[in-house]
Amino acid sequence: MNCETCQLKELVVEPPEIREVLRSILHTILFHRALGLVRPKDVECELFDIIYVQCEDHELEKKIDEKINQFIGWVEKHPNRKSQVCISFYEVKNKHATWFGNKIERFYWEQWYINLHIVSPKPHGKSHNTKAHVVTGENAFEESNSRCAALGSSLREVLLQIINFVNEKKDHIPPLQNSEIVSFPYEISTPR
Amino acid sequence: MATSPSHSSPESAIIEQVITEFFAKSLHIILESRSPYVSSRNYSVDQFMSSPSSSCSSSSSMPRDKWFNLALRDCPAALENFDIWRKSNLDPLVIDIVLIRRPLVPDVARPLGGCLLRNFSGNRDLALEPKSWKIVERWIVQYERHKSSSSKNHKEIRKCGTKNNGGSSCSSETAFYKKTYERYIILFRSLYVLIRLLPMYKLFRELNSSGQICPLSLSHRISSSIQPFTQEDEAKMNQFTFVPIDTPRGRLSLSVQYLRTLEDIRSEPSAPLSLQFILDYVGSPTTDPFRRLKSLPSARSSPPLVSFTRQHSWSNDHGALASVSHCPSVACSEARGIRCNPSLCLPPLTHHNDHSPPVISESQNAAVTHKNNMSFDEFWPSPFSPTSSPSSPAHLPGQRSPNALQSGSSQIDIAKACPNTASQTQAYSSEGKQQIKMDTLRCGNYRTGLTLVKHHRGFPSGKDDTEKLAELPSSSTQRPRSKSSSGLSLSDKFDDCGFACPFADYKDVTGSCNRRSPDAVIGAVVRMLTTAAPLRQGLSDLCRPSQVFMDESLNPCVQHDQDNTEQSECRASTSEILASVLLKSKTAAEGLEELRRYKEMKESILKRGASWSSDVDSGPKVCRQ
Repeated sequence: MNCETCQLKELVVEPPEIREVLRSILHTILFHRALGLVRPKDVECELFDIIYVQCEDHELEKKIDEKINQFIGWVEKHPNRKSQVCISFYEVKNKHATWFGNKIERFYWEQWYINLHIVSPKPHGKSHNTKAHVVTGENAFEESNSRCAALGSSLREVLLQIINFVNEKKDHIPPLQNSEIVSFPYEISTPR
Repeated sequence: MATSPSHSSPESAIIEQVITEFFAKSLHIILESRSPYVSSRNYSVDQFMSSPSSSCSSSSSMPRDKWFNLALRDCPAALENFDIWRKSNLDPLVIDIVLIRRPLVPDVARPLGGCLLRNFSGNRDLALEPKSWKIVERWIVQYERHKSSSSKNHKEIRKCGTKNNGGSSCSSETAFYKKTYERYIILFRSLYVLIRLLPMYKLFRELNSSGQICPLSLSHRISSSIQPFTQEDEAKMNQFTFVPIDTPRGRLSLSVQYLRTLEDIRSEPSAPLSLQFILDYVGSPTTDPFRRLKSLPSARSSPPLVSFTRQHSWSNDHGALASVSHCPSVACSEARGIRCNPSLCLPPLTHHNDHSPPVISESQNAAVTHKNNMSFDEFWPSPFSPTSSPSSPAHLPGQRSPNALQSGSSQIDIAKACPNTASQTQAYSSEGKQQIKMDTLRCGNYRTGLTLVKHHRGFPSGKDDTEKLAELPSSSTQRPRSKSSSGLSLSDKFDDCGFACPFADYKDVTGSCNRRSPDAVIGAVVRMLTTAAPLRQGLSDLCRPSQVFMDESLNPCVQHDQDNTEQSECRASTSEILASVLLKSKTAAEGLEELRRYKEMKESILKRGASWSSDVDSGPKVCRQ
């Protein structure tokens, strides 16, 4: 079975935006792979003008939030770096008895790489001149808004990229074996 | 449902059913995200399945909304349209999402399906612009039958059988069907996500959730033929095509053409509307009475006692008396006009309703598509209508919400103004404190509002404007009506209370209020005054019982052996005199001045609180005299 890999477009994000970005991307991917009966829930991003969809599954949300927290913790220790979050779907094959015990094999059939470039927010320029400081503050505010809007646009492109990938590649998906919401086992990997 | 006579096996029936449900699900997802909710018919899955018009329901093995493992809320527009459309699975299903722009009628206070709007545009002779509409999205769902019987699907079926370790053809077919169904599931997941990423969804949510009247509205058109776009329109559109999914005898496809951007449409000029405040707005008790709206016209012309007949939607169970106690005079209430009532005209000492400025957004969504009996291939206009989606309640400004008002026009409508009944208010003069309290509580059981219509380029945005206005917190029982504006029209509400529409004529409104409950007004004034410091020198003796009463509240050590009846009698006589003296028209400025003076006097009284204790002992004697 082929393992299809999708490298998502790199996003330049600041630490406060990591949570929203990862939530929207991970939930969108999992919504396409949780093929059990779901009642979709619209979620509006607080930072961006985007509405994404998630399955109404508390366990899933909890697991995603845990992983995001893990990633944010890593980012705090390693600021201003490029990093990846990987979500993989696999099948568990028959256990193979080995000398050391039963070995569970995982056959990954799909992997998504979320590429993030974490940057620190720019500090406001210091100025003793009140007027200049106000102007600098306004410029920084406008710059921040435009950067946020650009990130929102890039995030939308990433979500469309997910849809395109899902739309084009379906042959590698294993048959549904259960009626659970999350149809296939998956794991979310963050840098350590 | 059309079926080929050569494919009458149960398997064929299942395949046909799946194809039919594919069309239905597509329509459902699309219209759910593009067609404003129609509240006229409340569909449930059970209702649909028992509907005689649905030939598919009897053969459906599972509820409709669970098809393809995507449970969706009911969408009456989709269900109705599908029943009408479904004649043959071979016909393409073309869904055009249409954006309609229509100007607001100038200088006419007319009910728009129960929603009233007063346009005080400076140009009163503005001619009506012709209605314009534009197809902003086109969704096409098609089923193409294979011409050749030996299609590649047979290879697919055999492949599935091979994957299943060379099982029988039956199992390979089953595996193929399962695989195909799985692809349908994934396709609908993608459709559901995609439709929310397209530019129109944002507009849909704005129109569907905001209780504003907007020149833009959404509608849809369903047909079985594809009318090509012009070259110019085509150039502005993007296309997305889902990979077709093969069935044993054909192929299902779904595609969309959509406008790349809506900025062109939003930037088209439209008739501007000037701001117009409805003068008889009554705000919330938490409104700062010293915060004046600069654009407020002079309140001199406002007739007296208007505001005291306005009832409000917030609950005054826990603070009405206390909140009332600080209103200095009737003048304060009268003059304010827009924002005054017995329980409102106060500094919020108790802060029992700690709300931000009120936004009353009462079912003003103009984007509702009215359609119950549409014929196939017919265009559904979307007239202005007060109904809006109950699933998208309005949110208070400042709250992060998809239903938050955004840039454009803002509108707070007078939802309902039902004056209190005379029977309730007449009791105050005879029953005393308890009845006064009841009146106060009832005053909070009705809603009033302010209509501010402002039209900007593009979409409505009441955020900045509404934040400036006092908020009207509604009672718990009435809040859903005021926020979600679901299903009820203003005309219905007005009809319920038998109250003339306040938008129609301000004078008529005030006159009717006066006629209906003067006692309520008097009672409210009296209640305020009995617990207030004297405003005039001549009333100081009469006000002593109230001062004593107030002082008792400050000195818990004072014995409370006074007869309540005596107090009420004393208060009743005092209130009658005060009412007669104080029922004079005053300007807002005078009212505010009196309030300020009252505050100063109150402070001084508090400081001398201890010196009143000796007077309190002789208080009843004074009263009896």
